Amino acid sequence: MAQVIPSGRGLRVRPGRRSQVAGVDPIVAAPPDPPGSIDDPVRGPSGSGLLVDGTLEDVRLERRGPDRAQLRWAEDPGPAARVVFIGGPVLGPDGVTRQEVLVDGWRVEVELEDERRAALRERARRAAEAVGHGGPTEVRSVFPGRVVSVAVATGDPVVAGQPLLVIEAMKMQNELRSPREGRVAQVEVGPGTKVDVGDLLLAIE
Amino acid sequence: MTDRPRPFARVLIANRGEIAVRIIRACRELGMASVAVYSDADAAASHVRLADEAVRIGPPAPTESYLRIDRIVEAALETGAEAIHPGYGFLAERAAFAKACEDAGIVFVGPSSSSIEALGDKLAARRTAAEVGVPSVPGTLEPVPVDRPDAVEKIVERAAEIGFPVMVKAAAGGGGRGMRRVDRPEDLPAALAAGSAEAAAAFGDGSVYIERVIQPARHIEVQLLGDASGTVVALGERDCSIQRRHQKLVEEAPAPGLSTDQRHRLHELAIRVAAAAGLRNAATCEFLFDGRREFYFLEVNTRLQVEHGVTELVSGLDIVHEQFWLAAGEPLSQRALAAAERAATPTSHAIEARIAAEDPARAFAPTPGRISRWVMPAGPGIRVDTGIEAGDRVPPEYDNLIAKLMVHAADRPAAIDRLRRSLDETEIGGIQTTVPFHRFVADDAAFGAGDLSTDFVGDRWDGQAHQARAVRVGLLAAALDHFSGDAERDGPVSPGAGPARGPGGEGRDGHDGRDRPLADRPASWRVAALAAGRDRWPR
Repeated sequence: MAQVIPSGRGLRVRPGRRSQVAGVDPIVAAPPDPPGSIDDPVRGPSGSGLLVDGTLEDVRLERRGPDRAQLRWAEDPGPAARVVFIGGPVLGPDGVTRQEVLVDGWRVEVELEDERRAALRERARRAAEAVGHGGPTEVRSVFPGRVVSVAVATGDPVVAGQPLLVIEAMKMQNELRSPREGRVAQVEVGPGTKVDVGDLLLAIE
Repeated sequence: MTDRPRPFARVLIANRGEIAVRIIRACRELGMASVAVYSDADAAASHVRLADEAVRIGPPAPTESYLRIDRIVEAALETGAEAIHPGYGFLAERAAFAKACEDAGIVFVGPSSSSIEALGDKLAARRTAAEVGVPSVPGTLEPVPVDRPDAVEKIVERAAEIGFPVMVKAAAGGGGRGMRRVDRPEDLPAALAAGSAEAAAAFGDGSVYIERVIQPARHIEVQLLGDASGTVVALGERDCSIQRRHQKLVEEAPAPGLSTDQRHRLHELAIRVAAAAGLRNAATCEFLFDGRREFYFLEVNTRLQVEHGVTELVSGLDIVHEQFWLAAGEPLSQRALAAAERAATPTSHAIEARIAAEDPARAFAPTPGRISRWVMPAGPGIRVDTGIEAGDRVPPEYDNLIAKLMVHAADRPAAIDRLRRSLDETEIGGIQTTVPFHRFVADDAAFGAGDLSTDFVGDRWDGQAHQARAVRVGLLAAALDHFSGDAERDGPVSPGAGPARGPGGEGRDGHDGRDRPLADRPASWRVAALAAGRDRWPR
């Protein structure tokens, strides 16, 4: 049974930066409306069903103590998914609540935000992107380490997949390749530079 | 306890992490005092906490701490340690280190420096194997002159004779460091340079050589022990085929699918190479197995292996204990000889999952960081070797292995069931680990059938697909958790955010989330309303 989400009552729920993966889009989640659309005589309405993008999913979160739970689908007789909440949800100064959840050994970063607020932010971001249309692609470090060598210089033409630089982390040399064709607009690091996750390495335009 | 015989009174452990902890444990069991060494990154590490004494040897960089032969020998002399156990990695296979110990009058727990030279240098080992008629993987027998640009053409020519694809390997290597697979001649010079640089950084020796790629292949190795009289025995073999970047992820003993005859032959080949090199103490002889009949000698590791534990579980022998007795000059023990007698006819099975700080959805990229949650499995047939506790930081400077989960059972299917069960109990938060990959292996039909190959990860693992399923579950769980307004867990979004509720919906009394402004917490009002009206709920 499908329901239209009442405006402003939903939550935008999306994977955090490290948990972004192909095939998983952000969802808008809300409790069933009217409350208790799915009624469980034993467990009561708590955690019974969730409106996901306007469609009711018959999914239930069964608590197993303070930080463990099992996620179960009514139509799925298989074993429930075991989840562990790592620490509590943390409300950031940006209005986004972040929660780490462990699922089948995967560390899942979840960001939860008021649906209306998320929509406003998205609009602002799109506007900013439109201004900087055709701007450079930033290449950022995906792990902490030390730059061993840089194979390109500002102004060099590059093709997609071309080696750009080598970062050593945990004694392994990791080669970073160009995500696209273009020209090197800037190089922010050199051999020996220590880099952290998210640090700007260079930009391709 | 003071009167019972012990190999040494005091031992320095020249390593860190889980292996330092494992060796300290052996020291305590044998009644020996232990001395840890540590870098600034490890001042609060578990091996420092557990040892009887601890000596700082330098800053975090391995070249300034765990690779400093002078500092470590000095620490041993200062603390009065009679022996040094090198563990694996770092200085474990550096003949210069064994020599420095010998010169300082300290016992090196491992082979002699000359034996390390003969076997630890993989090129020398290939020559030794050739001399005693043990077949090796085809390739060069001398180091490639990477520092001479004029020689590049010759190298590429030689590689073409061996036959592409080839493997670039570090002569001083181990753990896959300095190793590169090269499919095309034009990529060879760059691979040689990168492999050599990596080897120089990891081992202080940039010598590399070229070997043909055997594919498909299984990686099978034999655990050996040798004493001063020249006796060498095999304690059994391990299959270590499941690897990424030529580093092992899963190991098991015995190797599935081998006949008793094959096992005898394999053990005999390994003993022949080791005996020819005058092996003493513990070593491992590695082979590639083409899956049908041929074993190709790869190399000998003259040290304790990461995966020694699975052999301990199956053989019933404590290899580190034996190492200490052998280092003290004892002959091979009756225990060791009896274990060798049984080695070709094993009666149980053990599997090890190497849990590493790596993202199995991002090509196993390293994920150093702080571990916020650490729950390890327990119960029958489980052994966990680790140096980690909750709150510990996995430093970016060192190897990313954080725990070895070993399971032991009567046979392989039972061991796999036990592996699956123990991974269900494993909870590591704060950093991504290889646990999802191990869960996949435990469930995989090919693994279950013993259909193993060094291509297993590339052929069968789709990390992103597995991650996608988990992320989807994570999103739903976090949303449901949010709407259920949970005050049971610590650190809620804001104080008094909602009613406490447990399974079955108890514990709702006295909540104070009812009158929160709607804008503060979208839809939480609804949950409060549900809680208030539970008894009147329509069916």
